Amino acid sequence: MAESHKPIHDEVLLDRLKEILLWDDRKELDEIKQILDTRAHLSERVSPIIEEHLSALKETFSEDYKEIINKLIEVKLKNSQEEIVNSLYPSLGRMIKKYIGHQFELLKENIDNSVKKTFSPAGFKRRVKSFFTGVKESELILSNANNYTIQEVFLIERDSGLLMGSASLHTTFDQDVVAGMLTAIKAFVEDAFKKEKQELEFIEYGNYKIVIQTFFSYYMAAAIDGTMITQEKFDVEESMHDFASAELTGAKSSEVSNSELISKKLYEYFIKK
Amino acid sequence: MTSKKIILTGSFGVGKTSLFNQFIFNKFSDKYLTTIGVKVNKKSVFVDGEEVNLLVWDIAGEVSQDKVPTSYFLGASGIIYVFDLTRPLTYKNLEKDIDYLKQILPGGLIKIVGNKKDLLEEDAIAKVVNDVTMPISILTSAKSGENVEDLFNDLAKSLIK
Repeated sequence: MAESHKPIHDEVLLDRLKEILLWDDRKELDEIKQILDTRAHLSERVSPIIEEHLSALKETFSEDYKEIINKLIEVKLKNSQEEIVNSLYPSLGRMIKKYIGHQFELLKENIDNSVKKTFSPAGFKRRVKSFFTGVKESELILSNANNYTIQEVFLIERDSGLLMGSASLHTTFDQDVVAGMLTAIKAFVEDAFKKEKQELEFIEYGNYKIVIQTFFSYYMAAAIDGTMITQEKFDVEESMHDFASAELTGAKSSEVSNSELISKKLYEYFIKK
Repeated sequence: MTSKKIILTGSFGVGKTSLFNQFIFNKFSDKYLTTIGVKVNKKSVFVDGEEVNLLVWDIAGEVSQDKVPTSYFLGASGIIYVFDLTRPLTYKNLEKDIDYLKQILPGGLIKIVGNKKDLLEEDAIAKVVNDVTMPISILTSAKSGENVEDLFNDLAKSLIK
């Protein structure tokens, strides 16, 4: 029995010996383990090293990676040219519009300033007109400076798109075809957006505009070249209403269907003046 | 001078624009270009010495006529419904389409036209004519121009009678 207890006793002694001899090492190992296992402690030790590397990288990054980044950007730009244009286009458009608006305001301000300094009879007359109509002098000057001309006027049957009469400053294209295509465009827009009791009233491309006024069984379209302010667009619309009530409302059907007569009246009313 | 609005309609690829180009410009092209929306052009024809202005609206082809915006048909005096003699699918719904067109243009003149007759032999054409459930007004070839002038002249004649 005594022999069987002997190895156990030796093991205990050996363990104690190990404990005594390795006490310092174990303590150190435990401390390291605690540092590695605890985020805060680890961060305390590692952070300065990372910080140091990062600040070194910040200083040398552009130099070290310049070529790779340039190449990447070049490839990306090449592959997404359309995407870039698409995303820039609206912003550029807005910027240009804003710029033009701003320049226009400046122009108006300049005109106002020069008007204040002008005491010519014309200036005085304009001031009087501005005072009585409530329209700013700058707008009156701009309106005189605006150069727009009614190039063509069409009177068109609303449903069929057949031309009832037309007048032009310079004939450019077959007016029957223009009337048909205008009606088709009008029908398409009104059909596509299905806004009740709403009509296509204005088409614009570049400096060219088409002002449209729809009546019960016909509509009128005026093709205008040049720049025009809102008030002038309104004036053209008013002229169309005046023409309709003076020449078409209550007219005999033989007069309305007389294309030559209508065309002559349109010429005198819109083009000649 | 009298002006009349004519609508060219039918399924896609049946040759409406080719008929239009052949009638207006005396031109034919083998290239197929689909019509976007509508194309309007005019040609004057003489009926018993009277000049008639035909304003032809070439409408983009649709498989079914109820897909065409109804506003295009407003104020039209006549409709030319075109089908392709070589493609049964283009005259399969003929009866239904014609009924629909009669509803949206009551009293309007409707001509049913079988186009591309140059692509079929006489017996094949006879078979198609037999298969079609409604009377065909005329058979045309936009490519050779066969019967194209006749189609529009007959239509103009019927319209001013």
